[in-house]
Amino acid sequence: MNKKLIAVLLIIGFLLTLGLAGCQKAEEKQQDGGKAEETYPSKDITVIIPFTAGGSSDVQARIVEKYFKEEFGVNMIITYKEGAGGEVGFTELAKSKADGYVIGGLNVPHIILQPLARETEFNIDSFAYIGQMVNDPQLIAVLKDSKYNTLQELIDDAKAKPGQITLGNVGTFSGHHIASLNFMNLTGTEFTLIPYKGAADQIVALQGGHVNAIMGNLNDVMRDLDKYKILGITTEERHYLAPEVPTFKELGLDMTQGITRLFAAPKDIAPEKLARLKEGFENIAKNPEYLKDMEKIGQPEEWKDGEKVYDDLKKEVETATKLLEEYDLLDKK
Amino acid sequence: MLADFLIGFQNALHPMNILIMSLALAGGIAIGTLPGLSATMGVALLVPLTFGMDPATGLLMLGAMYTGAIYGGANSAILINTPGTPSAVCTTFDGYPLTKQGRADEALFTALVSSVIGGVIGTIFLLVATQPLALVSLKFGSPEYFWMAIFGLTIISSLSEGNMIKGLLGGVLGLLLATIGIDPVTGHSRFIFDYRPLIGGITLIPAMIGFFSFAQVLTLVDENQKYLAEYSPNKGVIGKVFGHMLKFSKKNLLRSSLIGTFVGILPGAGGNVASFVAYNEAKRWSKNPETFGKGEIEGVVASESSNNATVSSSLIPLLSLGIPGSPVAAVLLGGLLIHGLQPGAKLFIQTGDIAYTFIIGLIVVNLLMLFVGFLGMRLFAQVLNVPSHYIATIVIVLSVIGSYAIRNNLFDIVIMIVCGIIGFITLKVGFEPGPIVLGLILGTLAEEGFSLSLLMAKASGSMFDTFVARPISAFLIFMCIMAIVSPIYVRVKKSRKNKLENA
Repeated sequence: MNKKLIAVLLIIGFLLTLGLAGCQKAEEKQQDGGKAEETYPSKDITVIIPFTAGGSSDVQARIVEKYFKEEFGVNMIITYKEGAGGEVGFTELAKSKADGYVIGGLNVPHIILQPLARETEFNIDSFAYIGQMVNDPQLIAVLKDSKYNTLQELIDDAKAKPGQITLGNVGTFSGHHIASLNFMNLTGTEFTLIPYKGAADQIVALQGGHVNAIMGNLNDVMRDLDKYKILGITTEERHYLAPEVPTFKELGLDMTQGITRLFAAPKDIAPEKLARLKEGFENIAKNPEYLKDMEKIGQPEEWKDGEKVYDDLKKEVETATKLLEEYDLLDKK
Repeated sequence: MLADFLIGFQNALHPMNILIMSLALAGGIAIGTLPGLSATMGVALLVPLTFGMDPATGLLMLGAMYTGAIYGGANSAILINTPGTPSAVCTTFDGYPLTKQGRADEALFTALVSSVIGGVIGTIFLLVATQPLALVSLKFGSPEYFWMAIFGLTIISSLSEGNMIKGLLGGVLGLLLATIGIDPVTGHSRFIFDYRPLIGGITLIPAMIGFFSFAQVLTLVDENQKYLAEYSPNKGVIGKVFGHMLKFSKKNLLRSSLIGTFVGILPGAGGNVASFVAYNEAKRWSKNPETFGKGEIEGVVASESSNNATVSSSLIPLLSLGIPGSPVAAVLLGGLLIHGLQPGAKLFIQTGDIAYTFIIGLIVVNLLMLFVGFLGMRLFAQVLNVPSHYIATIVIVLSVIGSYAIRNNLFDIVIMIVCGIIGFITLKVGFEPGPIVLGLILGTLAEEGFSLSLLMAKASGSMFDTFVARPISAFLIFMCIMAIVSPIYVRVKKSRKNKLENA
């Protein structure tokens, strides 16, 4: 009952704040610049989420938020800067003040591919990486009653009928797209790639039988596993959330690909502040309660330290560049 | 199932839930009514608050906010000619002329009753036909979306009767605006002229606020009238509206609510598309189509019943398949997941009590809206007694806040102002904003449908199979042809009849 009372108060408060929203100036309040601070953090930290409220990135950030106060002693304020597949938010973070009070969620390979595809105002060197929290692996799925039972059957059919089999994606120059290119490149097949606007559209197309197979994320198919056959997953080892699915490696394809979610700060952040953030996020990532929550929302967690993240990103940029060159998709500046 | 249903019934009628729903409804109606503040924004703002509540209550609060906001859009559409949400665009066509005729309270009450009826019908479908309707929504692939968008564009012809060239040009302007941003297939940026902020594209809400609210403010200032319209409360409005609706609106209400329910289940089309289609059909089947756009009560009925019917039906793909069918449903999905609920068929099996509390609660919300909305209506109508220079100032402030809040993006304010100026100028030379906004709404849908269908056709090797030889596509093509041919046929027949009479 208490909860409901709080809810009522919150609504009333919400209506009041709405009236005040016009006067609020959230950003750029702090003008004191170089003054050394004694304790960090000493005020709330803003986290830029480059996708919509309620999206997968947001849901994950909300779980982090639950444990944030306990860890850092201040609140985590989520602001959404959505648009252009995350580019609007990534740019915003890259340009934010590096005072340690603005950090953001980043998605890989989005931050690698967008600068390759078109001119952007950020690249992987624009950020100081705190760490990776989610690694959502790519997989190939078909409908339950599809004629394909194994990945090999799909590959064989695609070889026999080049370009006639459709493979659903989410967006162009997205993680799905690069995984599809990699898959076609490794197997010497040619699929017609259909770039849907979002994961939801792609799932509708698969369930409605409008596309033969999809390159998708584990998180997207988790909710209705009994409706699909997952032909293969692009992880090093079998995944703890779907242990019955063979990996691409077992099937002889050397390919590991996923969409990962990171947290990062603007690149010029003071090293001791970054260290504090790293420590705190790692503590959260290893908290058993947090891990339980992550399992509930069906997002495959995997902590990776910021330095390792950056090293891996550099390698990924190289492979992606090669792959895009192969398919003649690089932005010719 | 029956047990869950009964528990749901009990929970939905819990006094605390009723209180929360009423408050969220009032908040929703206020947000919907205020030009600039839209339903999506309201729900997105509210969602973090629900994370601390129990799931059913949180969902009911969001549902009430959503329902209230979609209805609330009608108030400002009718009173000051600025749709409070994109779904209320069609309500301005007849609502504002009614206000000008001094029949504001009649229009407001009609909008309220129509919204309630549409909302209840949509929710009944959510309750009894979730699974079959979800399967229908899956039948819609890219070709179907393409044809639906084309069918939607034919509405321009009936929106701009007697002014066809300008209507078509407006539609084309809207379609062109929709192409700015990132190409959905190649992923390259286009028409951004090296101006980075344009990469996110022209989004509907700031553009709509510009074309309607901001342009309307400029018009108000330009006209320099002291008040928007004459208004004094008419006695016996309630009886008059109910009498009219019982006698004349039954078919229209049912048709529009069904259209709303159907369009709502399609991910990718929402209340704005539904109200355009319902308005168009109401006009087509009306005995006096010429009165539409000049203060026809049935126009308000069609627009408002259909957009509120989409509220519940847009939740069908979410609750049955786990697929969010609208921006608001996407926000709700996040809410469900945070509470550890699994959307999809499992929601009804594993957590049936919550699912049924939510659905039955939505019916309760709609019934509550009759009272909450009625209280608000009296208050909102007073706007007409406020001198128009105050209104203009307030609307500008709200437009700026609303444009910014939707994506927390300053550039959206620029979009809003530019669209407002364009809207004002084009209005001066006789272009209505309706076709422009329709083009913008349908442009992305049509383009994506078309380009993805082309890829499908490339794979299957047959354009005909992909675009035409699918039952729903064929039906939509037939509807498009009818939409274009029937007005010509009617006109030819009429002129022949006139000739015969004159002879």
